[in-house]
Amino acid sequence: MANVSVAAEWQLLYNRYYRKPELYPMRWKHVDLARHKVAGAPFGGPVAVIRDDSKIVQLHAESALRKLRLFNSAGHPLADAVWRHPGGRLIGMSWNDDLTLVCVVQDGTIYRYDLHAQLVEPNISMGKECFEQNVADCAFWGNGVVCITEQNQLFCIPDFRNPKPVPLADPMIDEPPRCIAVIEPQYTMSGNVEVLLGVADDPVVLVVEEDGVQRLGEGLLRGPLQKMVVSRDGKWLASFTHDGRLLVTTSDLTGIIIERECEADENLRLIKPSLPEAVEACVDASGHEFDVSRQRTLLRAASYGQAFCSNFQRDRIQEMCKILRVLNAVRNPEIGIPLSIQQYKLLSPSVLIGRLINAHRHLLALRISEYLGMNQEVVIMHWACSKITASLSIPDATLLDILLDKLKLCKGISYAAVAAHADKNGRRKLAAMLVDHEPRSSKQVVPLLLSIGEEDTALMKATESGDIDLVYLVLFHIWQKRQSLEFFGTIQARPLARDLFITYARCYKHEYLKDFFLSTGQLQDVAFLLWKESWEFVKNPMASKGSPLHGPRIKLIEKAQSLFAETKEHVFESKAAEEHAKLLRIQHELEVTTKQAIFVDSSISDTIRTCIVLGNHRAAMRVKTEFKVSEKRWYWLKVFALATIKDWVALEKFSKEKRPPIGYRPFVEACIEADEKAEAIKYIPKLADPRERAESYARIGLVKEAADAASQAKDGELLGRLKLTFAQNAAASSIFDTLRDRLSFPDVKVPFACLMSSE
Amino acid sequence: MVELLLQFRGKIATAKLLILREQSQKELINILKNIRGKKCLVIDPKLGDSLSLIIQTSLLKEHGVELRHLSADHIQTDCTKVVYLVQSQPNLMRHICSNIHHDESKGLQREYHVYFVPRRTVVCEKVLEEEKLHNMVTIGEYPLYIVPMDEDVLSFELDLAYKECQVDGDTSSLWHIAKAIHKLEFSFGVIPNLRAKGKASVRVADILNRMQAEEPVNSSDMVMPEINTLILLDREVDMVTPLCSQLTYEGLLDEFLNIKNGSVELDASIMGLQQEGKKTKVPLNSTDKLFKEIRDLNFEVVVQILRQKATSMKQDYTEMTTTSQSVSELKDFVKKLNSLPEITRHINLAQHLTTFTSKPSFLGQLDMEHTIVESQSYDICFDYIEELIHKQEPLTTVLRLLILFSVTNSGLPKKHFDYLRRELLHSYGFEHITTLNNLEKAGLFKKQESRSNWLTIKRALQLVVEDTDTANPNDISYVFSGYAPFSIRLIQHAIRSGWRPVEEILKLLPGPHLETKRGAFSNSPSFDSLSGVSTGIAKVPDGRRALVLVVFVGGVTFAEISALRFLCSQEGMAYDLIIATTKIVNGQTLVETFMEKLGG
Repeated sequence: MANVSVAAEWQLLYNRYYRKPELYPMRWKHVDLARHKVAGAPFGGPVAVIRDDSKIVQLHAESALRKLRLFNSAGHPLADAVWRHPGGRLIGMSWNDDLTLVCVVQDGTIYRYDLHAQLVEPNISMGKECFEQNVADCAFWGNGVVCITEQNQLFCIPDFRNPKPVPLADPMIDEPPRCIAVIEPQYTMSGNVEVLLGVADDPVVLVVEEDGVQRLGEGLLRGPLQKMVVSRDGKWLASFTHDGRLLVTTSDLTGIIIERECEADENLRLIKPSLPEAVEACVDASGHEFDVSRQRTLLRAASYGQAFCSNFQRDRIQEMCKILRVLNAVRNPEIGIPLSIQQYKLLSPSVLIGRLINAHRHLLALRISEYLGMNQEVVIMHWACSKITASLSIPDATLLDILLDKLKLCKGISYAAVAAHADKNGRRKLAAMLVDHEPRSSKQVVPLLLSIGEEDTALMKATESGDIDLVYLVLFHIWQKRQSLEFFGTIQARPLARDLFITYARCYKHEYLKDFFLSTGQLQDVAFLLWKESWEFVKNPMASKGSPLHGPRIKLIEKAQSLFAETKEHVFESKAAEEHAKLLRIQHELEVTTKQAIFVDSSISDTIRTCIVLGNHRAAMRVKTEFKVSEKRWYWLKVFALATIKDWVALEKFSKEKRPPIGYRPFVEACIEADEKAEAIKYIPKLADPRERAESYARIGLVKEAADAASQAKDGELLGRLKLTFAQNAAASSIFDTLRDRLSFPDVKVPFACLMSSE
Repeated sequence: MVELLLQFRGKIATAKLLILREQSQKELINILKNIRGKKCLVIDPKLGDSLSLIIQTSLLKEHGVELRHLSADHIQTDCTKVVYLVQSQPNLMRHICSNIHHDESKGLQREYHVYFVPRRTVVCEKVLEEEKLHNMVTIGEYPLYIVPMDEDVLSFELDLAYKECQVDGDTSSLWHIAKAIHKLEFSFGVIPNLRAKGKASVRVADILNRMQAEEPVNSSDMVMPEINTLILLDREVDMVTPLCSQLTYEGLLDEFLNIKNGSVELDASIMGLQQEGKKTKVPLNSTDKLFKEIRDLNFEVVVQILRQKATSMKQDYTEMTTTSQSVSELKDFVKKLNSLPEITRHINLAQHLTTFTSKPSFLGQLDMEHTIVESQSYDICFDYIEELIHKQEPLTTVLRLLILFSVTNSGLPKKHFDYLRRELLHSYGFEHITTLNNLEKAGLFKKQESRSNWLTIKRALQLVVEDTDTANPNDISYVFSGYAPFSIRLIQHAIRSGWRPVEEILKLLPGPHLETKRGAFSNSPSFDSLSGVSTGIAKVPDGRRALVLVVFVGGVTFAEISALRFLCSQEGMAYDLIIATTKIVNGQTLVETFMEKLGG
């Protein structure tokens, strides 16, 4: 394992060893870094290169037009674009956090490019002052930029997602600063960006913020600084002094951490013969190694040593292998993302996958996410959307098959989201076809279908989901969009939508509902609506003011009647409406003649009763004949009405008119209910059924008569029941027991026989 | 036997169902907390009733709430913040709109919040929009899908579900039910076995499966779900049972006194209180131990038990006053004495019930119900109903028998159908044409089009049981003194052996049926615990009995609940049951949902 060349790569710097391995021989051609402006993205990201127009260069065999060229870290070309922007010289360019290339030109315009060298609209302006004064220099950080003008004024954009230029405090310097650096807002106390300026002939650093300028490093610095770099976490500042020293200080310049002339610590640490540590070190080292064969050597050594340590975590090696496979895959020159293991951990696998799909490396992204057991939905979704954007010439059906082939790999993927993308790209038909495959019906899909004008499909999907709220959503949408007749036609074909429309319209759109029924030929439903409306005249007395109440009301009912008569299925309803109109007429007449407003809106039976109670037997008879009231009903009504006014004489007379068609039961019941025993006794003997006789006697408390009648009936259950009716009466009870014994009935159970005796 | 009846009903589900209640309570309080300061909470009255089972008024007041009921009248309050808590029904929006318009006209500046139960809907928002109030109110949701009525009964509180589905074609309730079950699955795990009968039930199953596909309940960490089987049954399948007068104690209390949210309201004097003319509320739930003991029994038996208890108490008391007692005997006596208020309460209630049960009209009605159910004599039944109409007996009473008659005969011959309809309109008024129309649409009172298969069903499922011993029952028929509720007979089969053995019968009943496995279990034939009484498999790991959730789509009666509890108590029963329903109904309330006056 001891390999001289490996050890020789390492150089001691202060108290640590460092090395500078060559990761890739750059594959690009004709790129002389000295003649170009270059921006490399962190985390193994792409490199942007453009000819530096501030330098006078000799053009070799190349076009005079400048080209912005993008490469991966291995110098493999990704994309390029001709640079034709106005606005003067390119002052600076840099990749920001989401891998957008930001380019600042002299007049303060910022042009942005994506990974595929496509210009990202809109361009951003650094503001009027920059435009007038010209930008002289700029400094970038993750998501922002600071520009300094030729008049030494500072402007910054703190966040490209909200690109508004903010002026910073005036540093009050006459000469342009020697060097410039920024501390990102997330690492400053104020939360705003701090700009560090190294000024000429002054051994200080100016810190410029929005609301003020501070001088730092007085007494600490011995002369002006030539160049400054802030560490990633904003804690440290490395600077290069006028006299050629490298200086590392805290970023507030209060203390020097390293001065390069310090004495080097020459003591090499002795490696202790501690096996687990060695194994651990091998595993770690393999992670940091870029060379695949060396990774293999280190891991093999670790694996060998691990066998001799009892308490080493075995999955450490497996885990490392997994990470290295991912790292090696993306470090491949074709992909060209030379991530270190720390960078990878900092970046996280999901961000790495995000970068890969942005670079259209979908297959690798898919493989990695599969390998790491991550959700592949993001990758497939992005792929599908890119595919749609890039496949303008592929017919819908073909493209659908291509898409479905991949989409089905991922269970639970949102077809609706892909469809939305297709719709945005003007492929409405493809969108509709995609939505058709969405297993998740409801919430997202239906509104989407409406937005792409697929109303019928939306209605179908909403109906399938069983979510009535969604059906209403579609219903109202269509209602608003279409002509009445077209709308009626649509919902008539869909029973659920139709029923819901009717339910809603019944409460809120009465007239409109009538139109609907008329247009679909449901005349009986129109009739019901009219009939219902006829009651509005009762509820709203204003409607009848000035004209007799019954006029317009009866007209409505008659209209309803004629509509019912249109279909032979509604003969009954037609007849009922006719009778209703007739009844109202008679009731109105009765109110006029009796001068009592007690008839209208009572039933036919009630009208008859009222007439009898008022002693108007002729009117009662008239109603009876007009409506062909049966003799049976007539007897019940008249008997009860006479009992109500306690006209027992008239009742008896009525009983003798002729033999009552339903016997004397109505008479008995009416008397018992009125608690008139003496009257009841007149009719009980006339009851034909001995059982009824027995029960009626029992109800008015005549034990002996009840018993006699019961014994005629020869009904054991009846006897048992009667006995219980007289449970409190011992004498009566014994009568029934004797009777039962005589008739030899068993003790029959009766429901609810044993009721509570008062305890 | 009575003792046997009492020891059933595990406490398994209870704890979790109580958690449901706590969750809903917490959610409501959070809503109120998020609206700072004093506020006026305006609740629609129907919802207020259900909420009383979830949260106490005092608790609301602790959170700075002034309570009002929603009506068309404007709100009188000093609060500047008004919070409406309403079911998402468009007709309630009208009241809110008129309230706000009134405030506007008076120049009152208030902050309005509208919380929809259980969720906001396009229709309701449309009403607000058309009244141009959409921008004035903040809209929120209170996702109350289930109200626990008792330790084993859940209600979705969808009073009109049956009518809306059958008459209006509005199936909102089915989505609600599926959503509620899906929510339950988030705490109990995906229910692996599903059995459904009836169009609505099969649709609920379908929607439930869609929900599971869209928003899956993660079942990977639950080896054995707590609810083993879900049984869904349409009320439409059995419209006979709810129309029969219930003869259990709780059932009768509901028939005559109308149990509302676990309590009845009656004159204080009936309960022996010295407050003339005042009403008093009597709670009826399982925390009352005596009630828990007797609620499911046939009322006849209840009367006997109460009498025994009173007598033994009287005896103990006499002994106590005449002989000297040991301390432990005294203790026992005092313990018994503690149950005295409960005994008194139920003696009062039972006595009050007997004033109804002893009426000839009630006995006559019972007799007629049995005659109809037995399909003995068409003419006697027809004449009886005709006479009720002629005597203008209460319309609901008439319709109840009439529907029972029509359902068992699968409609009436056209001549009779038209005749009875005419007599009804003549006796009760033409405005009832809508009611008749509704009943016809729902198939409850209609023209006969095919032969009735009620007799076949009745015989095949042994629905009429001779010699039913109500005191020592061995069959569910005790709840109706001889008639075994058809719905529960079906469920009994579904639990014991699935649909297969009764498939021929199911085909005679309206709507499709379904038997399926769900979730991760859909592919594992080994997980077939419901076939046969395989007690071993049906146990959850810690030895408790597994649960079966029985859902009634369209309502269930107390008598049917009692019958299910009876099944639970039977030896060899491998499951505990939870019962869920759109609403607890009885013949009267069920018929009332279909009643609609034209002018009303």
